Amino acid sequence: MSCRFLVLAAALVLLAQRGTASGLDPHSVAMHVDEQLSKELFGGADGSAHDIATRADDQTFLRRLSLDLTGHTPTPDEVTVFALDGSPDKRSTAVERLLANTQFGENWARYWRDVILYRRSEDRALLVGPTVVSTLSAAFNGDAHWDKIARRFITATGDVREEGATAIIMAQMGNTEDTTAEMSRIFLGIQIQCAQCHNHPTDRWKREQFHQLAAFFPRIAVRPVKQGEERSFAVISMDRERGKPNQVVKGGGHLEHHMPDLNHPDEEGKLMRPVFFVTGQKLDVGMPDRERREKLAEWMTGKGNHWFAKAFVNRMWSELVGHGFYEPVDDLGPDRKCSAPHTLDYLAEQFATSHYDIKWLFRVITATDAYQRQSRSRYEEGEAPFAASCPQRLRGDQLFNSLIEVLGIDEYAQQPNRDNFRAILAGPRGRMNATFGYDPSGRRDEVAGSIPQALFLMNGPELNRALSGRQSNTSLGKLLAEVSDDQAVVEELYLRCLAREPKETELQTCLDHLHTTRQRAEAFEDIMWSLINSTEFLNRK
Amino acid sequence: MTLHLRHQMDLSLSRQGTIGRRDFLRGITAASIAAGTLSWRDLVALKAGELRKQGMACILLWMQGGPSPFETFSPKPGHANGGETKAIPTSVSGIEISENFPRVAKSIEHAAIIRSMTSKEGSHPRASYLLHTGYLPTASVKFPSFGSIVAQQISHADLELPAFVRIGGGGREGSGGGILGVEYDPFIMPVAGKVPTNATPTTEVPRYNRRLDLLSRLEADYAASGAKEEVSEHQKLYRKASRMILSSQMQAFDLDHEPAAIREGYGSGQFGLSCLLARRLVETGITCVEVVLNGWDTHADNFNKVREMAGQVDQPFAYLLWDLKQRGLLDTTLVVWMGEFGRTPKINPRAGRDHYPKAFNIVLAGGGIRGGRVIGKTDEGGTEVTDRPVTVSDLFQTFCRSLKIDPKAENIAPNGRPIKIVDGGKPVNELFA
Repeated sequence: MSCRFLVLAAALVLLAQRGTASGLDPHSVAMHVDEQLSKELFGGADGSAHDIATRADDQTFLRRLSLDLTGHTPTPDEVTVFALDGSPDKRSTAVERLLANTQFGENWARYWRDVILYRRSEDRALLVGPTVVSTLSAAFNGDAHWDKIARRFITATGDVREEGATAIIMAQMGNTEDTTAEMSRIFLGIQIQCAQCHNHPTDRWKREQFHQLAAFFPRIAVRPVKQGEERSFAVISMDRERGKPNQVVKGGGHLEHHMPDLNHPDEEGKLMRPVFFVTGQKLDVGMPDRERREKLAEWMTGKGNHWFAKAFVNRMWSELVGHGFYEPVDDLGPDRKCSAPHTLDYLAEQFATSHYDIKWLFRVITATDAYQRQSRSRYEEGEAPFAASCPQRLRGDQLFNSLIEVLGIDEYAQQPNRDNFRAILAGPRGRMNATFGYDPSGRRDEVAGSIPQALFLMNGPELNRALSGRQSNTSLGKLLAEVSDDQAVVEELYLRCLAREPKETELQTCLDHLHTTRQRAEAFEDIMWSLINSTEFLNRK
Repeated sequence: MTLHLRHQMDLSLSRQGTIGRRDFLRGITAASIAAGTLSWRDLVALKAGELRKQGMACILLWMQGGPSPFETFSPKPGHANGGETKAIPTSVSGIEISENFPRVAKSIEHAAIIRSMTSKEGSHPRASYLLHTGYLPTASVKFPSFGSIVAQQISHADLELPAFVRIGGGGREGSGGGILGVEYDPFIMPVAGKVPTNATPTTEVPRYNRRLDLLSRLEADYAASGAKEEVSEHQKLYRKASRMILSSQMQAFDLDHEPAAIREGYGSGQFGLSCLLARRLVETGITCVEVVLNGWDTHADNFNKVREMAGQVDQPFAYLLWDLKQRGLLDTTLVVWMGEFGRTPKINPRAGRDHYPKAFNIVLAGGGIRGGRVIGKTDEGGTEVTDRPVTVSDLFQTFCRSLKIDPKAENIAPNGRPIKIVDGGKPVNELFA
């Protein structure tokens, strides 16, 4: 235990080093958000009409927070320190500590990689995966402002292995309509592509407005490039009629965008002027690519467009609290149902005032009661949302991080080639993501476990070798050699796997298993196997 | 004899619950039937399958992207919309299909073509969802795919493999169990030809079972702390996965057990291997297999691309029908070839065709469908259905009739809304006459 007290001392030092935030004080904003939610959903301050969950205990909170912010489960030391810390603001201290960890940027970079690449039109787009993770990791860990990041993605050019912000365009191979649709979906939460083919009676955006937005992007193209043996792609501006047609994979070829005539699809269609449908701001035809995209980026992230802040706030709220104001998270708009519009408006306005400071938003949301409540299974129709937190299934990367830590495996010892995207996809993390990953924009209640996932966790040969209690080089083998007290081993395994201590009944079940199995190593392998295969391990509660 | 047999059968069924018809079938050779050496028990098993509606199975060849009717089964040579694609005669006089399917042409006596499919959904995800579930996507109800319904309605209780298997990736809209739950999700085999990965327990079976037992005891507390549903779904999944991997039926996945001549018949392409696996799975008792082939979204270079896609499909599709037939499985196995919509009659400037749900074609075979016939017509340019329009609901009613599923049966969504297996529509009865 003594080493844990040393960690505690270090953590207390951190208490003094609170980061300074831009925007209003996150805690007062958080308090206002909770008040607003109460008014909108729970019928007043006391919320007596609704069964509102109580505050989650410390161990649940820390595991939730760590997985949400850094994509890792807390270590046994962190759990112990947190439990022993008596200060009233220890939760916000933990938030600051985790926001300062570089794993924060990496975690959210991987999240956005999935947002973008799950909608890829071709698998070749996966080439940009590692680059977008490194680009976004640096951005999130630095001076992270969402408007700056958005501008960079909207205006990106360059080799996709060097500039990760090319990812949205690369994912759609530069196709004008698909790139337009994705920019709108990701940054505005508006599915304007529904109007691509025809007007919908239930939507106010018209077909022409989609094609006017597309008129900002006709001059992007994705071109294959070759450096030595390595093949790659580059996003380029095509401001002249294409010279060598074969060089351009997709997109390009036309300097202006035309809306096809549905009755005459073989004709060129109607020339479209770039107009941003939210604000009506427009450009003349004939502008160079760079200028079009820079203007659009400015208008999309500008004060006149409240959807930009709302889309990000809605998505982050959904990831953290477990349920969005709008569901699915990327389908907002005046014709969609918002469960608490005043709360979202308020939080989005404050986020804009903070200059879209991402860490500020994390501070606010994690400080709300809505975030800190106990979890319940996803709420039923008719119940108020946000009365409890919702369990979230871990994304592939979060699960991978948890597994390698529990098993004491060095990721990069298994993954010698960190740069080659194919090697990364075929490596342990890539395979984990292929089996356990899901499109983060989809409805979370539709993400279900699959047999291949169960088989991987039950029978994966590498995983089971790493679980061995009889080898001296595995984490369990070392633990069993060092600690002879069986109860202490059970407690340590619970801390490692689930970031909490076992309950009395659980402890007893494990000790009984030890007793009946007789083989100490074998029994503990079974226990660790069970913890890794448990629902709790796969979810953040 | 018949009456006596029926009595025995009922006895046998009430004692055993269900009988693995196909397991018996596999043991019965053509020679034993010819020699009259079939035991009454074999006959019982055969007959029982039919009585309990469990004899039926379904193979869906899903053509993701929306195949062009003009270049598949409804060519329009001589019309500008038809492009360069030629029509060829088939084994049934009067029926012509595109030159891209020479082998299917020779087997058309087993298959019926519907040339008058019509719908309104022209976006890939929504149309894929519609053609998988029979419903349009809504936020409030997650409709189950038809494969999941088949699994739920007519799978064998003693089947140890997942009742619904999907081979290949992509186009997953509406392909899940939806309101029926993970239990009826398809088991996804990304690639045919290998046994599923991680399907061998790493410990001896008794210890493996002890572990599962320990796991379920340890889960109880977590379930009580606000995750009851999650734990229950997780446990269901683990039971299903365990039952599967401990089963001898797993051999069905191993194509190495198949004679070389048969393997050759399906060709060496990935789609051929998938069709072969589909047949093996159906033979083992799996009720629905979906084989996915992606790449029909031919906005540009339509003619070359469709020729290439058809080249992957033609031989395996034709051989699958032959193979099912010679095993006596075709009558009880509905084979469906379809995608989410058709393509625009007018050829666009990139020699491509765009999305067109208004008129498209599909092919049905087996499962009581009488082959060698064409249902419906479009006008000369293929733009409008002019005879016998078939809606998606009509099509799903037809599936139900073939598979002996009651289309009016209801499942209850979590919000309490009863969901019919098929909403509206009428079966295309002339397909069965």
